[in-house]
Amino acid sequence: MHKILRTLIPFDIAKGLSITGRHFAKVFFTANRRKVPFHIVSEYPEVVARIQPRFRGRLTLLKDEQGEIKCVCCMACEKICPTQVITIEKGKKEGRKMPFPVRYDFEMERCIFCEFCVESCGFDSIILNHQFELAAYNREDFSLGLEGAENMFEPSQVGKFSVADD
Amino acid sequence: MFKNEEMEINLGPQHPSTHGVLRVKLRLDGETITHCRPMIGYLHRGVEKICENQSFFQGQVWTDRMDYCSAVANNLGWAEANEKLFGITVPRRAQYIRTMLNEFNRLASHLIWLATHALDIGAMTVFLYAFREREDILDMNEAFCGSRLTTTAFRIGGLREDLPPGFEKMVQKFLAKFPSCLEEYENLLSENRIWKKRTVGVARLGAEDAIAMGVTGPVLRAAGVPYDIRKAFPYAAYAEMDFEIPTRTEADTYARYLVRMDEMRQSARIIQQCMDGMPEGPVMAKLPKILKPEVNEVYHATEAPKGEIGYYLVGEKGSSNPYRFHVRAPGFINLQSLPKMAEGGLIADIVAAIGTLDIVLGEIDR
Repeated sequence: MHKILRTLIPFDIAKGLSITGRHFAKVFFTANRRKVPFHIVSEYPEVVARIQPRFRGRLTLLKDEQGEIKCVCCMACEKICPTQVITIEKGKKEGRKMPFPVRYDFEMERCIFCEFCVESCGFDSIILNHQFELAAYNREDFSLGLEGAENMFEPSQVGKFSVADD
Repeated sequence: MFKNEEMEINLGPQHPSTHGVLRVKLRLDGETITHCRPMIGYLHRGVEKICENQSFFQGQVWTDRMDYCSAVANNLGWAEANEKLFGITVPRRAQYIRTMLNEFNRLASHLIWLATHALDIGAMTVFLYAFREREDILDMNEAFCGSRLTTTAFRIGGLREDLPPGFEKMVQKFLAKFPSCLEEYENLLSENRIWKKRTVGVARLGAEDAIAMGVTGPVLRAAGVPYDIRKAFPYAAYAEMDFEIPTRTEADTYARYLVRMDEMRQSARIIQQCMDGMPEGPVMAKLPKILKPEVNEVYHATEAPKGEIGYYLVGEKGSSNPYRFHVRAPGFINLQSLPKMAEGGLIADIVAAIGTLDIVLGEIDR
């Protein structure tokens, strides 16, 4: 008798449905993009994503107060990189005691964002910035150097993919 | 006209329920599976060989990419194997943080298993609920080490950095709401008649077969064998933790589901204990300038969410690279029990069998 009753009246399914209903009601009555920008998920890209301070983004070269490149070509980052994406060429500059990077190439397409390079750097001359929108249309845009529109000092240009960018 | 013929079909390699690129060769008699062979190798990247050509230190980034659902557990096994090889003692605070992150990772891995396993079987509601909690854990990963999935969390000798400010608050917030979330999943699934019809008695694997095949993890514990490396050979700070090993004796898909749900509760308990008893001190051991292997070879096993993950490292004199880097991946060993589970059953049940093994093809093919 008990078994038949349990088969006829679907308590188990009602239990599940009540949970779904409760969540639906909660979201339905509070969902408002202007008031609650992060309900459960953020409405990216309309809402800017929250990023933690330790986030590992794109490799960036730093300059000191005089506008000089801080890198002294110790090659530690080149050696430690697990995917060999960094190529440095040593050079000399007038009025500078330390070696100066003539070339600092970074192949972003192969970078795995592990931050080993930043860790190995004894001169604090590189960091990983907080940029994560790194997609681009052309393969050349992923090869960064010291010069050019896409360089190692500024954040990469964000590709125009979404409606919100226009 | 009606010939009694067996039919051969392929499940995968791009089938959504095969959790990656697993191809299963099936021979069917009507709807019954008579022959089942999993075919692997579609995601082979040669991780072991790559690691042999790089230094001990660099190997960690490849362990992230083996079992991408539980990268922290892979990192932990790798770090401990290296420390065994070089004879390094890790500070106590680092051990506690490692234990905590490892348990968080177990939660994340089990949540993704629950979500996808339920989705395979047909319960779509649980999927997003489980991902909602997993998101918080990934946020914590991001706060600690800067990356969400490919964590590269540990270093040989400890941790790179201490816990970030505000981490404790995140953990407490998560622990406060997690038990009610677990209850939600259980209310949705445990008594549900469709879920029970699809899981109870499906894909049985008894204790004898499981041990003979070397199956570890929740699949083995659901067969009634209370084998957990965290208890059997304690590593990190597990010796100081108070937790139980949940076991069941039914050895079917439903039992494995219950074991994993209980395991999540125990993980939450361990995290709470880690937070309460977190010692002060440094997080990095003092390392010699040049790391030299103390012993020639080492095998170190840890309990990953999917089973025993073991690292076999062989050091070489005068070289900073491992001579041999081998991984005993739990998914690879567990997968060989698939024919035992699926043969004789219905074709619809092989989806449940693949889901309940909780395999990740990145780890199986390496």
